[in-house]
Amino acid sequence: LFFIFNPSPARGLLVGLHYVCPRLSLIYIFNIFFRQVDVIEGCRLPVLRKNQENEDEWPLAEILSVKEIPGRKLYYVHYIDFNKRLDEWVTPERLDMKKLQFPKKEAKTPTKNGLPGSRPSSPEREVPQAQQKCLPTKTSISDFQVLQQQVQPPTITVRLCFDFLSPLFKFSQNGTARRPMPNQPGRKRKQPPNCGGTDEDSQDSSDGIPSAPRMTGSLVSDRSHDDIVTRMKNIDCIELGRHRLKPWYFSPYPQELTTLPILYLCEFCLKYLKSLKCLQRHLTKCNLRHPPGNEIYRKGTISFFEIDGRKNKTYSQNLCLLAKCFLDHKTLYYDTDPFLFYVMTEYDSKGFHIVGYFSKEKESTEDYNVACILTLPPYQRRGYGKLLIEFSYELSKVEGKTGTPEKPLSDLGLLSYRSYWSQTILEILMDLKPDNGERPQITINEISEITSVKKEDVISTLQYLNLINYYKGQYILTLSEDIVEGHERAMQKRHLPIDPKCLHFTPKDWSKRGKW
Amino acid sequence: MSKLSFRARALDAAKPLPIYRNKDLPDLNDCVSINRAVPQMPTGMEKEEESEHHLQRAISAQSVFREKKENMVIPVPEAESNITYYDRLYKGELRIPKQLFHIQPLGLDNEQPDYDMDSEDEILLNRLNRKMEIKPIQFETMVDRLEKASTNQMVTITEAKLLLNEDDYLLKAVYDYWVRKRKNCRGPSLIPLIKLEKRDGSTNNDAYVAFRRRTEKMQTRKNRKNDEASYEKMLKLRREFSRTVTILEMIKRREKSKRELLHLTLEVVEKRYQMGDFTGEVLSEVTAPLAEKPVYTVPITVTNGNRHNHKAEIKIKTHKSGGLPYHGYHHVSVKDEDPFDFVRPKKKYTRREPLCRPGRPAKRQHIVNKADIKQYDFHSSGEEDYPLSPSSEPDEENDPDGTFAFRRKAGCHYLAPCLDQTSGLLWDHPELAGLDALRHRQSLTALSVPQRCVGLARRRVGRGGRVLLDRASSDLDGVLKQLDSGVFSSSFPKGLSDHQVPTQNHRTMPGSASSLTDLLSNIQALRWRFFRPRSTQGDDSGEGRTGRPSMDNRLSGGLFVHTKNSGSGGITEEQYQVHQQALAQMQKQQLAQLQLKAPPPQQHFSLPERQNTQVHNCRYITLDSAGAHFAASAVISAPGQVNNENKPDNTSVNGVVQPLGTSRPPHSTSTSQGGTGLDRSGRTPSSGGPLLPASHSTTPQSLPNHRGHGSAVSPAHHHHNARPSPSSLKLATMATSSLDRVPKVTPAISSMARDNHEPERLALNGISETTVPMEVT
Repeated sequence: LFFIFNPSPARGLLVGLHYVCPRLSLIYIFNIFFRQVDVIEGCRLPVLRKNQENEDEWPLAEILSVKEIPGRKLYYVHYIDFNKRLDEWVTPERLDMKKLQFPKKEAKTPTKNGLPGSRPSSPEREVPQAQQKCLPTKTSISDFQVLQQQVQPPTITVRLCFDFLSPLFKFSQNGTARRPMPNQPGRKRKQPPNCGGTDEDSQDSSDGIPSAPRMTGSLVSDRSHDDIVTRMKNIDCIELGRHRLKPWYFSPYPQELTTLPILYLCEFCLKYLKSLKCLQRHLTKCNLRHPPGNEIYRKGTISFFEIDGRKNKTYSQNLCLLAKCFLDHKTLYYDTDPFLFYVMTEYDSKGFHIVGYFSKEKESTEDYNVACILTLPPYQRRGYGKLLIEFSYELSKVEGKTGTPEKPLSDLGLLSYRSYWSQTILEILMDLKPDNGERPQITINEISEITSVKKEDVISTLQYLNLINYYKGQYILTLSEDIVEGHERAMQKRHLPIDPKCLHFTPKDWSKRGKW
Repeated sequence: MSKLSFRARALDAAKPLPIYRNKDLPDLNDCVSINRAVPQMPTGMEKEEESEHHLQRAISAQSVFREKKENMVIPVPEAESNITYYDRLYKGELRIPKQLFHIQPLGLDNEQPDYDMDSEDEILLNRLNRKMEIKPIQFETMVDRLEKASTNQMVTITEAKLLLNEDDYLLKAVYDYWVRKRKNCRGPSLIPLIKLEKRDGSTNNDAYVAFRRRTEKMQTRKNRKNDEASYEKMLKLRREFSRTVTILEMIKRREKSKRELLHLTLEVVEKRYQMGDFTGEVLSEVTAPLAEKPVYTVPITVTNGNRHNHKAEIKIKTHKSGGLPYHGYHHVSVKDEDPFDFVRPKKKYTRREPLCRPGRPAKRQHIVNKADIKQYDFHSSGEEDYPLSPSSEPDEENDPDGTFAFRRKAGCHYLAPCLDQTSGLLWDHPELAGLDALRHRQSLTALSVPQRCVGLARRRVGRGGRVLLDRASSDLDGVLKQLDSGVFSSSFPKGLSDHQVPTQNHRTMPGSASSLTDLLSNIQALRWRFFRPRSTQGDDSGEGRTGRPSMDNRLSGGLFVHTKNSGSGGITEEQYQVHQQALAQMQKQQLAQLQLKAPPPQQHFSLPERQNTQVHNCRYITLDSAGAHFAASAVISAPGQVNNENKPDNTSVNGVVQPLGTSRPPHSTSTSQGGTGLDRSGRTPSSGGPLLPASHSTTPQSLPNHRGHGSAVSPAHHHHNARPSPSSLKLATMATSSLDRVPKVTPAISSMARDNHEPERLALNGISETTVPMEVT
């Protein structure tokens, strides 16, 4: 293939050499043979970025994309071991070219290559090394691109090659390569549908048609659909009401809108518009001042609206598109029909402004009481997230079930949930009074019932807080000083509890309704 | 710690865990390692993300400080707030309502265009606004429609014209602009839309395709049974809908016809008004031929399902005298509404006689439906009494004729109704005209109930021996109506009516009976035959009942006579031998008669005790003792059954009480019952022989077999023409009493009957499967 594509035999030879001796440092070779070095996709190099303290840092980053705008080039970089949401377009000045590493042809060992976390999740990495060699993965795709780039600088050619090659790789990726993968012990319950072939929902078959994600839930843990397109943010900026938001992740808004500097959203119906003028015109026609659903909770300025993903598709889809901008694992592959959306709003004289939301499957086979959950960035770190979580458990309490958020959790999700669980459980433990002079005691099941937090989450929280100890032949819960203090401090900060009395919610038995 | 403690039991969620404060357990630190026994719970995060720098930092910060430190939070892309033009953008304020919002699911569609004008459009709009006024919303609606109409291809200008219904100039301007803009548009539509999946699976991996439909695979597997059931339901629904469509189609047709009729009527009225035809002369002139020809289809022939009607028919039959060869006759049967509505007040399906009878080629069957006459009566949609086109819409369910219903045959030619009826009637008797001609074939006929004269009618034997009255309308109808019960209760001299002689001079009496008095005098002079039931006064010898239909009285009277005549001993075998002989003799005579073409029938009955029932043209049906016995035995053998066929026996001619031949052999009864046939045979000797069997269509022997036609005697069956049950009951009782004495008679009769009427019997057996054989009695 490469020889066909390479016009010059000399270059072909070079590529062949590279192919034969992949361990040789490509930088070295290219430094010898080429004066000018191109930074291309897959390259790694330190990139300047400011940290929270506004100090300069040079974390290692991978070039995911290069684009040429008049006058200069821009590089889309992913900082290794940083969350994808921090990926950004950088100017060449921020690249430390001296430490440029060209992508290694064969470097799939998870520990070594240190691929970004947003890369296809674990399966490949857990495959024995011998098998791995024959597995072309996305990394290998970019490897090929690298080679092409090296010998044929024009980007267009690269693109062509990529387009030409990718189906082949996708085929092998989905059809054959993953098939023999053993189920890893300790893996999360949600396996990629094409792993093991046991998932009924999977449309995967050996005929090479790419598999579709499972049809339940709203998050993907399997990133087989993750490609260069979805790895990159596509929207620069979203204007929503008073706020401008910088999206964190890819969202499948109409493609023609992705080139806009700003995407305008109607604050109330979340319709996407290409310009301020359009938004203006839209607002003359849109008379919504709150999410188009039933208000099931109101206390103070906080309200919750319930929206049926089947009955109000437009709003649900708009909400999902917006949410996708901030949720990496969220999938919009399937429609919104099996979900309910609970939108939290804050009221002011202009209306009920969306603060955050969580979605919930109407029928969950896995005790999920939350599918996706999001506090919009302008409202983050102000306690709203915990409010959303609390509300989701209040709903579960009304339903008389325990629940757990759908996995995988994001980093922020994990922190928020852990924080909520910790506070909730600690509150219970600390409120327990000794009765009859004996030590207060409680079972994990009891905690679970009181809080509607699923048993596993209770255990993991107790573990995380390091409360479980084995003492004199039995398990005990111990509350250390700093735990108690920390909890008390945290509870002081928590000023927005959900008031169950203000909740007007009747759970529906969706299983009896046939189709959601 | 011992090794054992490493293998501590798994954490039991149901087991109470005592809660300690650390300060209470100074020796706890020694036990920390045991913590390992608790399985590590997964965080729920993707593995590689778990190791992310900021998260780890935050987690460690939390575990160290037990709270988040400001610099330890996970950094996120910054968002900026405070859009300055927000208040200008979102105008108006919203007061918080007291109630929680409750959205009506359908209240969201406000039919606003999805397209939102941009600044480029605004320029165009401003330009257009110089010439005409166009509001932004109007423009948006136009573009919206254009966009939504062009899915794969852009709409053409002609389509756009249909779509938009706007001023031409505006349309052209907007359309051209739209086309230009759309071509420059990067997206597939000017209204930005989420990419939709393609069902071929080509978009399975397209990152921009979102909200795919969940495949049906799962659902069908789950609810396959359900699906089948609902599929069947859908099929059923579809069938029913298509039936509804058919019905509606027919209603539409009917209503159209009605409207047409209305228009025509209106036109007629207008024309009449223009012509000054206020008295209706012209109309009647024009419609006279129409009204005369009307000739209603015979409703009388209600068959299997409808016994009472049958019974009724027979009662009103009269004999007809005079006439032409049957060939080429028009069936002129008048359906009189009154008496029959009585029988079946709600549903009556007028049925045509089979137009083509075997051996009787119908040359011109002239059938005019009653509805034609009642054309100015606009039936409401719900009316079913007179289906406008009975033959075209056979009601299968209520089809009384069943397999005998008339059906057009392929390859058969059905002649159109003859419009000029008068001439058609007299095609072979050109000297006869008008009323005379009618009168020649029809007789004046009266019914017993209601007691009135129905005008000119002709009796005819229908299928299965039913006797039909063919009514003819004539100019005399009006006059004849006055021949009510009062008129014929003043009975004519019996002697006169005894022998009704249709004289030839009647033909030369054109228009003679134009008034009632003339008519009466004609009748009295026996120039006109007038068949009417015997008046009640005539037969009070039996029960002395009055007001009872005369026929029944006559029957019972006849029976009385019979019992008297035959003595108290009833009918003996000898008598039956005699009967049989007489029968044979009579048959011979009849045959001879037919062959010899002897119009005035000879006296057929030679038995002394038999009353001479010989008439010039007709056989009078009388009930003799045998007939009575048959009737009685029929009643006995099949309780509730009555020999309906005897009813005609009681008809009197011209008010003359028919002296009942008491010991007349059954056969004579049968011959007289087939009056029409005999008439025919009498008058048309050429066809006599073969017709004879037909004249025997109803015989006493076959009566029990006629259950299908006979009506059950029960009080419920008191319809006007039906034989009242008391008399039949009496008959039955009489029969039972006499049966004691003559137990062997009936078999003899039956055997005799079989001998004589085997063919009919077989035929009748075929007709009615529920026959009760005579022998059973």
